[in-house]
Amino acid sequence: MRYRAQRLSPVIPTASMADIAFLLIIFFMYATTFSLDGTTVDLPESLIQQDVQKDAAIVAITAENEIWVSDGVEKSVRMTSEQELRDSIADIVTRFPGRQFIIKCDTQTPYENFNRIYEILIENNATNVSLLTEQKYQEAPR
Amino acid sequence: MNPYFKRSRIPSVIPTASMADIAFMLIIFFMLTTVFTATRGIEYGLPKNEPITDIQPRESIYIYIRSGGGLTIDGAPVRSLEELAGYIQGKMEETAGKKPVIIRTDPSAPYGRTVEILDLLKLLKVKNISIPTQTDLELWKDYFGE
Repeated sequence: MRYRAQRLSPVIPTASMADIAFLLIIFFMYATTFSLDGTTVDLPESLIQQDVQKDAAIVAITAENEIWVSDGVEKSVRMTSEQELRDSIADIVTRFPGRQFIIKCDTQTPYENFNRIYEILIENNATNVSLLTEQKYQEAPR
Repeated sequence: MNPYFKRSRIPSVIPTASMADIAFMLIIFFMLTTVFTATRGIEYGLPKNEPITDIQPRESIYIYIRSGGGLTIDGAPVRSLEELAGYIQGKMEETAGKKPVIIRTDPSAPYGRTVEILDLLKLLKVKNISIPTQTDLELWKDYFGE
């Protein structure tokens, strides 16, 4: 009896490709939060970390001393003058009393830039801030 | 009826060949727009907007962060964070954790250094931490000097 080799054409199975792709889409859709603040800063590190409040207002200070403010609802806007900054913060405190302010400040920023925001927040009776940090993993001194 | 026109038998299928392409386009979109945002930080309750008149620096632990990031505690230079932690822990044990800690930062010092000290104090469970504003410090010159 003679056996003839069956001629199967070589194919890459792609039937499950769409399933895999859709699973990846679901992951990215779940992980995506359309951030209100798009500034890139090098955050300081800390061992102590607490979750920021939901819908907190954001004040971002970049290494170039650009200041961006978001009320926690709308996308952040670059402040072009001291008066605009003061008015924006006063407006947020008036509209959303008790709302937390997230301070997203570059680690190398001179302290006086942070102090400027800090003073305006106190003047406007803001109650609580969260200094945004990245998780530090090194052992702390005991 | 014309016998040459025969109804062709095309099986009804939904074309799915381009499904993977569409899906991968969507993946690329989400990959580009996804930002894994930092949503954690150190909480700090702001002081009330009132002039502070009852300041008692001798009753407090006073940390000064110099322009280059160097530290002094109660006027004495400190070489490391371990040394700073040891000093604060000692003082806290003496006063049952009631002693307030004041952090003063030079305007030109990096902000990250202040966060580092604040983190250390929170780690040491110091309850009464004060970060005076530069305006406050102007008023307190008599206590802390320039």
